[in-house]
Amino acid sequence: MRNHDASHGRVLRRLNVWGLSIAGLALLAGLLGLPVSGWAEDAAGASATVSYRDIPQLGGSRNIIWVVAQLHLLLAGFVLGVPIFAWLCEIVGWKAGEKRYDKLAKEFTKLLTSSYATTALFGGILLFLLIGFYPKLMTYLTDIFFPSFLVYCALFLLETVTLYLYWYGWDVMLEGRVKVFHLFLGFLLNVFAFFIMIIPNSWATFQASPVVIAEGSSLARAWAATWNPTWWPVNVHRLIANVVLGGFICGAYAGVRYLSAKSAEEREHYDWMGYVGNFIGVFGMLPLPFAGYWLMREVYQYNQQMGITLMGGFLSWLFILQAMLIGVLFLGANYYFWLGITYRIPGAEMKYKRPIMAMLVILLLCLGVWMTPHSLVASLEEARKLGGTHHPLLGVFGVMSAKMTVANLMILVTFMSFIMYWRAGKEETATWAKVAKALMGGLFGVAAIVIIVLGVWGYFVPAIVRINYFSVAQVLIVLFVLLTVTPLTALLMKTARTTTEMVWGRMPPRAGYALVLNAVMVILLMTLMGYARSSSRVHWHIYGVMRDSSPYAYSPALGYAAVFMSLNTFIFCMLVAFIFWVATMGDKGHAKDAGHGGALPAMAGGSQSLDQSKSS
Amino acid sequence: MSEVALLQLIGLGVIGTGILILLFIQSRFPRVIGFVMIVLGTFSLVALSVPQMASLPPAEEKFDVASIKTANDMAVIGQKIFFSKGQCALCHSIGPSESARCPDLKGIGAKLSREFIYESLTQPQAYIYLDYRHEGPPKDYPARMPHINRNPIGLSNNEILSVIAFLQQMSGEPITVSPSEIAMPGQPVSVTAPARAPALPSPAKSKTKGKTKKADAGEAGLVAMVVHGR
Repeated sequence: MRNHDASHGRVLRRLNVWGLSIAGLALLAGLLGLPVSGWAEDAAGASATVSYRDIPQLGGSRNIIWVVAQLHLLLAGFVLGVPIFAWLCEIVGWKAGEKRYDKLAKEFTKLLTSSYATTALFGGILLFLLIGFYPKLMTYLTDIFFPSFLVYCALFLLETVTLYLYWYGWDVMLEGRVKVFHLFLGFLLNVFAFFIMIIPNSWATFQASPVVIAEGSSLARAWAATWNPTWWPVNVHRLIANVVLGGFICGAYAGVRYLSAKSAEEREHYDWMGYVGNFIGVFGMLPLPFAGYWLMREVYQYNQQMGITLMGGFLSWLFILQAMLIGVLFLGANYYFWLGITYRIPGAEMKYKRPIMAMLVILLLCLGVWMTPHSLVASLEEARKLGGTHHPLLGVFGVMSAKMTVANLMILVTFMSFIMYWRAGKEETATWAKVAKALMGGLFGVAAIVIIVLGVWGYFVPAIVRINYFSVAQVLIVLFVLLTVTPLTALLMKTARTTTEMVWGRMPPRAGYALVLNAVMVILLMTLMGYARSSSRVHWHIYGVMRDSSPYAYSPALGYAAVFMSLNTFIFCMLVAFIFWVATMGDKGHAKDAGHGGALPAMAGGSQSLDQSKSS
Repeated sequence: MSEVALLQLIGLGVIGTGILILLFIQSRFPRVIGFVMIVLGTFSLVALSVPQMASLPPAEEKFDVASIKTANDMAVIGQKIFFSKGQCALCHSIGPSESARCPDLKGIGAKLSREFIYESLTQPQAYIYLDYRHEGPPKDYPARMPHINRNPIGLSNNEILSVIAFLQQMSGEPITVSPSEIAMPGQPVSVTAPARAPALPSPAKSKTKGKTKKADAGEAGLVAMVVHGR
């Protein structure tokens, strides 16, 4: 009888669970089904001819899609950036034999399990909303891209299986050959993630730069549409940007934990984590402007009108805002480096005070030039006094030649900060050290001069010469410096003697805020450029192919858009904070149970064995 | 209150809340939230302080059959279709262009007859290059041009005739398409007899294999015609 009751109880519990699940699913379906229910307003009566649906009571279809799509994209950037970040850390830990890197990698991989679910949830909501709000557009895109939808689904399955193996196999694949296999799994994870990124990129870039689809098999048509002119520039740009996002979010997390750290060990650990996050963020940030330049070049090549809309039309002020955000990001990243030199390396403050001041002045001057608008909105009277809409003195800084020059100089300065930090507290012992240092100094000096000369010269040549040759040359020069000085410094540091040990955990609280600021800037930049890409299509769903004939066919003004960008950034930060909180909650409990009593930092995914080996 | 003023007020409110959090709350995480609020509020205020320009869509062009009185009216509509629904300008330019992916159409109306243009639009594979870059018999080298009267572009017969009128006018040629050829709504598509003998294919298209092709009258709206290649 008892068994019978128990069985009943189990069945009831199961039913209860099922009931709850079904109720939850019904609720979700109901919410998602709102657009297609009576609440939604059909653009036309018959569903077969409906082009748009809307929910004006909730702010309108465009705004709802804006928030959901942006959050999905940011989360996607996060879940694609984190595996790269984690895998790089794991490799460093494996090669250098430093367990803390391995631990850091695992800490971030644990986040993936919860953040994947959140990203997929937003992806699902976005898909339902798109089908509901834009049936005609979605039918058109499905007709073209259906084969890639299938590939996308298959990749998700592969990615999920690989992630399970990567995460759950971490502790059993710590040493030896199995560790190599684990690293291979990390590699695979990133390969699948890369393809998961580039497939939706093809849908989005096709909307911006469509190609005419000729007859052929559905696979051939999908492939032709995928290989559109801006697909690869966006792929490369987003890949690098995801590394930057992953790095700076790691930094922000470390910054917040550092600010609330209660013990010296915690402060040390999160100070170090902040350093690693900032390092990877800056590492990715340096080539990012080049990828952005390539993308804009392709946009101009594809359709000059679209390029003009972006750079010289109603979106031109957007690039002043972009300059401001990138400028703050560069300043924030450098400031963090400088704080590191000052506080982590005793005695280095006086040695580097003057170069730091010089770099700060250069960065501020460059930022000033970058933020100079091309033309000013002035009254007739003001314009008459100015002699036109261009300021007689500042007007020369508003053009691309000046902006390209200062952007390259800012990258060089940031790279110098990075090298300075790398070398601080160490004394080179190699016999060729003096020659190498002179060579590096010479490279920086010559590169800066050539960049400025090309920038000034750019005023006196036709635009096509400047765009095709001078700007490209400036970019190549900076890349050359980056690719030459980095290995040279690495070689020098290999045999260098440490004169002053780096002391972790002494950074002032403002260092934590600087890390948070950097992450917010990167997220804001992503939201800003999302708006730019979407607005560059003006009143087209698919540029020149399918016109947006909905009431939302206009692109809103920058101020209105900025409020949405801020809202999206805030929600995303809260989501990420929630994911971090959820992921670390269990570990805090484990740490208490294990009697650590908070002496060690609560590590998301932290291996007890590793923690114990560190404490002993 | 204007929308901008309202948004500025919201931005100031967000910054104010952030400052209050920093002033009165000691717990670290809320302080970080306050800091983020100040940053985001400031960003919004800066964005609201620059010139506010929205991009409004142009009025949508409709193909109004009733408005067509002359061949020039057709050419005006054809021009609009060329640059919008027809998607021609996605690949073709009118005049030399570095970004054009397909042949320059400047003067095309003088080089090709209306029938040939019609066929090129509706049966792009009718005249095609042969690919000799391999051993054995040459293979077809399919044109990248889509069937313009099928999805996804799907121009109607009226629209195609208007585009031809535009191409002829743009080339300085007399427009050989007549408004009487335009089908009124509900009226079956007229079968358009060639107004004159097909012109010789342009040199670019003369490297084609001999081919006798029967056009699908229902699809193309033309009488079946025999095309003599080499």
